[in-house]
Amino acid sequence: MAQVIGLAVLNLALVVGLAPLAEGVMRRIRAIVHSRKGPPLIQPYLDLLKLLAKEDLIPETSVLWQLGPLVCLGAVLMAALLTPLGPPPPLAFAGDAIVFMYFIALAGVAIMLGAFACGNPYAYVGASREMMMILSVEPVMAIALVTAAVKAGSLSFPDMVSSYAAAGPSVSMVVAGIAFLLALQAQVGKLPFDIAEAEQEIMGGPFIERSGPGLALFKLASYAKLLIFGSLLVQVFIPLPRFGPWVANLAVNLVGVAVLVAVVGLVNAVNPRLRIDQSMSYFSRVVVFVAVAGLVFASIGA
Amino acid sequence: MTSQQVIEQIRAKFGEGLQASEEPVPGTIYLTMDKDLIQPACRYLQDDLGGRFLISAGIDRRPREGCLSVSHIFSRDKEKQFICLRADVSENGAEVESITPWVAGANWSERECQDLLGVKAKGHPDPRRLVLSDDWPEGVHPLRKDFPYDAKPDPVEGAEMKFKEAPEGTSTLVVGPFYPVLEEPAQLRLFVDGERVVDCDYRGFYNHRGIEKLGDSVLTYNQIPFVAERICGICGFIHSSCYCEAAEEAAGVAAPRRAKYIRSIMLEIERVHSHLLWLGIAGHILGFDTVLMQAWRIREPIMWLCEKITGNRKTYGMNLVGGVRRDMPADLHPEILDVLAKIESESLAVADAIQGDTTLLLRLRGVGMLPEEEARRLCVVGPTVRGSNIGIDARVDHPYAAYDELETRVITHDGCDNWARVLVRVEEIFEAIRLVREGLKQMPEGPIMVDFAEEIPAGRQGVCTVEAPRGEAIHYLISGENNRPDRWRVRAPTYQNLQALPLMIKGETIADVPITLGSMDPCFSCTERVETVDVRTGERALLTKEDLDRLSQRRSGR
Repeated sequence: MAQVIGLAVLNLALVVGLAPLAEGVMRRIRAIVHSRKGPPLIQPYLDLLKLLAKEDLIPETSVLWQLGPLVCLGAVLMAALLTPLGPPPPLAFAGDAIVFMYFIALAGVAIMLGAFACGNPYAYVGASREMMMILSVEPVMAIALVTAAVKAGSLSFPDMVSSYAAAGPSVSMVVAGIAFLLALQAQVGKLPFDIAEAEQEIMGGPFIERSGPGLALFKLASYAKLLIFGSLLVQVFIPLPRFGPWVANLAVNLVGVAVLVAVVGLVNAVNPRLRIDQSMSYFSRVVVFVAVAGLVFASIGA
Repeated sequence: MTSQQVIEQIRAKFGEGLQASEEPVPGTIYLTMDKDLIQPACRYLQDDLGGRFLISAGIDRRPREGCLSVSHIFSRDKEKQFICLRADVSENGAEVESITPWVAGANWSERECQDLLGVKAKGHPDPRRLVLSDDWPEGVHPLRKDFPYDAKPDPVEGAEMKFKEAPEGTSTLVVGPFYPVLEEPAQLRLFVDGERVVDCDYRGFYNHRGIEKLGDSVLTYNQIPFVAERICGICGFIHSSCYCEAAEEAAGVAAPRRAKYIRSIMLEIERVHSHLLWLGIAGHILGFDTVLMQAWRIREPIMWLCEKITGNRKTYGMNLVGGVRRDMPADLHPEILDVLAKIESESLAVADAIQGDTTLLLRLRGVGMLPEEEARRLCVVGPTVRGSNIGIDARVDHPYAAYDELETRVITHDGCDNWARVLVRVEEIFEAIRLVREGLKQMPEGPIMVDFAEEIPAGRQGVCTVEAPRGEAIHYLISGENNRPDRWRVRAPTYQNLQALPLMIKGETIADVPITLGSMDPCFSCTERVETVDVRTGERALLTKEDLDRLSQRRSGR
């Protein structure tokens, strides 16, 4: 029990503690591409602290509105407890992959419900875009994870990690990993897929009425998602060598995630925003087939 | 068809209805028509004589001629002619037949005339207020001579704009009056079905400055160029040039050739930096901030260059009626050429990157369609119309400054979409750079100013168009007493282009509205002739450059 609590504290501390840094790195990459100096790496921490200290403006008393950021961050942190970061995930059990997907979907739903509760038309448009993004992106991630599950013969993340590490690279897992990577950019809401927020079109969409601590929680949840999905990609879809002490595994994972953050940041800096219909057809007509191909390969044992 | 033939044709068609005709300078015809015949005459001019509507001007002529009048100004581009049709109306029953049902481009002009001068356009399809604020009292018309320029009528309590009803099954998404990517106040009410825009309504002119009123009641001929330049914060020089050329025409003086060349060169330099600025903003609207940052980085040296040439980074203060105030000495030429060469090569790199970007193409191609015939019908101007394959360009159609000797290539594209408008502007950057080089090469020696005593006999007229980066700007001037115009009419290009917006965004998605609006490079401040003044800043201590540097460094933690 003590070990579980220790691991839980470690996972949460890593995700919450490092996520703003990852965001800071992405801002710096963007600045370099822009020929700018850019903000200091710790800027996202300062932003969050500032927001937390500010007054929370509530448009009207609505339970959904107030619960939105709490549920969103809560769901993301629960997902973090299921995520393999190198050390064994604290809440691992048979079928944790399914629960993980539910928590991620719940985080999206919390954003939507909060937006619908505020009555702002821009928030409505943003929420409906968020819904369409969830509907087109999450199936891709689910199929990729099912592929990993088929290969490992288990629906639990630790089994997937250890079995792929033992078996070595396979076609199906490489294809599924590519699909997962393509979906990741949209899942973390970075360009060309920051459509639900689209500052220049709908002024932040679901978050337009948000301020202070509520906004800070949403932001933290969004930063944390990158770390969670990044770790999942590195752990589940890349057959990394496993070491005895988990500290070594953690270090390898963080290096992998850092590379991924750089890739996501670079893509974010060199793309304009797609339209929601273009993004949906990209995921539901192209990327989903990549994911399905991975699953087919897995079912024939490749 | 020569000017005389045009007059003959109209006389043959309308007989006694043509009361007077005048051609003070070759190619500019002023006709006075019977007020009942003005509408058929405009239709005839547009449909049979190939005239393109430019602008209407309402004029209060009561002190001198005892009547109000409305002038509709047309251009026959191929023949390099301006045709101004004037109709006089009496103060009681001030009303003329609206030409908007036939000449769609006259929509706003007629509404403005209705608001500011009180001459009703009978049969106008949308006679709502355009310029006056909602709480302005009925029947008070600020452009009338008996209305003091600084009068402040009591606001009407509870008055509000009558917006269009949302069509059934749609919801209303209000864009503005303050919207992050438009940066200037204007309200666009989108009637949307999901993401799809079904229709829209527009309300602008929230900060009308009344510059035209200042021109005919406070300023003098040679003060106006400096105010004219402040009509726009990006392409101000075109307005001062346009005003000066119109005033020179009315006064019968000609600026020296060297001054004309300097105007052309500065106008083209302004086009380069304006297009680069626009390119950045277009990128930003699409979330592509790399284009914003790079385009503006490339643009910056040209601002420094302007400062070196004129003493000012943006609002140059160079133009006067009769010439320019600063020479462009030969020892500056190598530096101008160096800066332009650098900008040319860097812009080429950006242009290549843009044209190879598939995501950008996805967002721009086939979006914001403005078909050729609609562009013609709505009298759209500038890169917006040239992207619909219509080669209207004031530099070629009505040469001003030194464009009679500087041969300009008119760039058109036939895509009729946002992408075509991007291509037109990108190519115009390089054409403008070429024109500056040509101008520097051909510029003659000589004086840069002629004597102009600020005296023009009353009742003389002048009209000039200048091809601004956003399209054609028009200044029309009637000279008056006391060293100032009797009427100074300004039309900035966005005034005409914005009227095409409802058509361009119909059927598009919400996501495409900002970039479609952006594709016409809108400049509300020109349209409204607006100025925002922060009254509080006057009371604050002045910050030096060092203070600002220190403050911004402290903000960014370095």
